[in-house]
Amino acid sequence: MKWTVTCKENTELSSRSMDERLPLAERLAMTIHMAICRNCARFMKQLHAMRRLIQMDTTLDDASPGLTPESRQRIETELQKKLDT
Amino acid sequence: MNTLDPHTWLAEHGDYLFRVARRALHSDELAEDAVQEALLAAWSARERYAGEASPRTWLTGILKHKIVDTIRRRVREVEIPRDAEGEEAVDSLFQQDGHWAEPPRPWGNPQTEMALSQLRRVLDECADNLKPVMAQVFSLREVAGMETQDICKELGITPTNCWVLLHRARLFMRECLELNGFSKVAAA
Repeated sequence: MKWTVTCKENTELSSRSMDERLPLAERLAMTIHMAICRNCARFMKQLHAMRRLIQMDTTLDDASPGLTPESRQRIETELQKKLDT
Repeated sequence: MNTLDPHTWLAEHGDYLFRVARRALHSDELAEDAVQEALLAAWSARERYAGEASPRTWLTGILKHKIVDTIRRRVREVEIPRDAEGEEAVDSLFQQDGHWAEPPRPWGNPQTEMALSQLRRVLDECADNLKPVMAQVFSLREVAGMETQDICKELGITPTNCWVLLHRARLFMRECLELNGFSKVAAA
């Protein structure tokens, strides 16, 4: 692992850091890069903002479309077949 | 103690289950199939229902397995690391030397309910526009909150492939959000 990474490589590290604890060398490289690169620091902040927004809204009984009548009918038929056997 | 009545499943939980599946699978058709499979499986497994959880919680648990099954089948059909198109799309976001081609712009910090729900809609639309498998893995991680190691294991892909998919998904999502209004909401 190199000590200096490009912005592109840094986005890989930033993304991975959202999923697991990075090994020390990678973590250092990322920290050093973001200390001097505003763009990449912003990128990291935005990844966190995106996650917060996704997790904020977990209620699903909202206005998003549900089953269409056709889908409902199809499933109803299959379920009934199963219940009858 | 709760009891199961399959005749009420669709009426009471159909839309909810469909939305759960839709948000993970990004396809109406796949979501419908997953709901159907889950309800049929639930009926077969009815004797294992202990009545402690609500029927909705119990059905949702079964549905989540069906969702993972669906994605697993689809991952097998797609060769992830050889996806040259995805790689090119990533490359296009950067210059030859690895600097940003178009640096991220600042995003606003919306606080009102309306602004937030609007952004949530943009987010769903952007996720729907990702390549299917990428969208599905992204949703398992970010919407369902599964750990990457579990995603890899469930889908039978290597951790590296998982990271590649998530990295691409996040880059494309960020780009899409920015192009669709995230940088325009009143900056705080």
